Amino acid sequence: MNRKHFLSSVMAAGAAIPVLGAGLSDDTENTLIIPRYLKAGDLIGITSCAGYITLQDIQPAMQQMEAWGFKIRVGNTVGKRDFTFGGTDEERTADFQQMLDDDDIKAIMCARGGYGAVRIIDKLDFSKLPLHPKWIIGFSDITVIHSHLNRNYGVASVHSKMCNSFPDDWSKAEPAQIETILSIRQALAGEKMIYHTVPNEKNKMGVGEGVLVGGNLKTLESLAGSKSDIITNGKILFVEDTGEYMYSVDRMFWGLKRTGKLANLKGLVVGGFKIKPDDSLDEAFGRTLQEIVLEKIKEYNYPVCFDFPVGHQKNNFALKCGVRHQLEVKADEVSLKEIYREEKKIK
Amino acid sequence: MTIIPPYLQKGDTIGITCPAGFMAAEKAQTCIDTLHEWGYNVMVGKTLGSSSANYFSGTDEERVDEMQAMLDDDSINAILCGRGGYGLGRIIDQLDFDLFKKKPKWIIGFSDITILHEHIYSNYKIATLHAPMAAAFNDGGAENEFIQSLKNALEDKKAKYECPVHEFNRRGEGIGELIGGNLTLVAHLIGTSSEAKTKGRILFLEDTGELLYKIDRMMYQLKRSGKLQKLAGLIVGGFSDMTDTERPFGKAAYEIIQDIVKEYDYPVCYNFPVSHNKENYALKVGVGYKLKVGKNKVTLEE
Repeated sequence: MNRKHFLSSVMAAGAAIPVLGAGLSDDTENTLIIPRYLKAGDLIGITSCAGYITLQDIQPAMQQMEAWGFKIRVGNTVGKRDFTFGGTDEERTADFQQMLDDDDIKAIMCARGGYGAVRIIDKLDFSKLPLHPKWIIGFSDITVIHSHLNRNYGVASVHSKMCNSFPDDWSKAEPAQIETILSIRQALAGEKMIYHTVPNEKNKMGVGEGVLVGGNLKTLESLAGSKSDIITNGKILFVEDTGEYMYSVDRMFWGLKRTGKLANLKGLVVGGFKIKPDDSLDEAFGRTLQEIVLEKIKEYNYPVCFDFPVGHQKNNFALKCGVRHQLEVKADEVSLKEIYREEKKIK
Repeated sequence: MTIIPPYLQKGDTIGITCPAGFMAAEKAQTCIDTLHEWGYNVMVGKTLGSSSANYFSGTDEERVDEMQAMLDDDSINAILCGRGGYGLGRIIDQLDFDLFKKKPKWIIGFSDITILHEHIYSNYKIATLHAPMAAAFNDGGAENEFIQSLKNALEDKKAKYECPVHEFNRRGEGIGELIGGNLTLVAHLIGTSSEAKTKGRILFLEDTGELLYKIDRMMYQLKRSGKLQKLAGLIVGGFSDMTDTERPFGKAAYEIIQDIVKEYDYPVCYNFPVSHNKENYALKVGVGYKLKVGKNKVTLEE
């Protein structure tokens, strides 16, 4: 279907507020489809599209989201297990598809990451999603879905913690846990997200504006060459990773560079990188994460910030993928904020 | 047609350089002695046994300069990479192949050297040698059939390799140029200017020390980027020292691969002697081979 056509039908249906982005900047995006934000009483589906999780493990998330006023539908992959997966490929596909197709479900939260989304992504039919967009929520392995949606459908999604990160006991949770979980609610409720972070001395100053895309770096690398491969031109890219050796992180940043993903960014947001220690001292890689990143982007002029609170860590705030943001990196302050320039909506 | 570099003559010179990880000089001594016995001169670069204190055999600049000098020096007839590890990806775009294109020479190695094989074949259609490196000559290795296969390859003796059948093999016959190497690097190069074109070709893959779910993810990447659809054949080498997550993946490496290629009908063989272990035949990337996966044996013939 041609984009203009479905755009007009979306507007007629009033199901979403699409933003025509072509006139806004030099990014290649024609349409950004922002699913309708959630209100009290809306139904959120929980599915295990990657690793397995038990029904008991998602209780804190269910209780919290119910306390926020949402209703929860637990998918039948929760509690299912096929080795590392939350059910067989067929079961995970069917559960996710059912939630995509059910108009009563306004958002789908992936119960946890792990590994498995790429095994089902080509089996899923997203063709109705642009017409009936809904929020898909998750990170890590769920980067597959964020990237796939942005590349193929222009539908925004929420990169955030999942069911397995909700604290068991809210009263004993650390402030970072509470704030990050609350950021999911804020994102889903349609609050304009603004994040301020502590400057890192290696940051590159500047201001950039573009659609936010990104996620787990290893997962992004594994999508290269596929139809879910992220297009980063004119966008703000964020990346994070965990459990990789420093040499592997270096190789992945070369991968980003050599596949052309660093050349035309509006900004680069480097989140948490939990590095696997070198096997021995003689194997020391001898470069810091900041050095690894900065040498790849030295010929470019866009702003870069480190230590952004996104990643496999407590400080992992909700980010809206596929939504326009402004990254401002100053000596004393870094901010990433959602922008919405409605006055320029019409091409 | 792929350009085949000149085969070596007695008295020709082989340059040894380490474009990636550090290698102590003594670990390459048996290799050097053996190459002498084979009738070649050996020129050892400074990156072998360098004073580098970190992971690499030298700075990026030192590694580039040495590889570049060996590519450009007419008196060097072949370049043997001392070892792999990690590092070629950092320098590949700084290497200038202009003179090499005019006067190609054999470049030898595997693992991280997969980057050179793919880059050279994809961009210049020049054959390279996926083969054991310096450390494989140690501990009696120099006598084994795999090191001998490197000697034969350099001397223009056409290879015909045989290996036993594996229960997962898919029988059949395929003819095509050979491409491949280390799975992690084949996957890593997808989308770059060095990536492998696989259509109509025989693809070979090996890997070591990876998590099983990562093998699965990389095989999905190959599949989803169209690298597995139209092969003339698939050679699955060693997948050694695989590791698993706390929650078991539930399939071994060969089962993962078997599952991913089950919808195609080209011949596939498993446990072919190309690997990070001793079993590692010299394979000419870019050269035409015939793969026959039969009931009783598997042959790969140039």
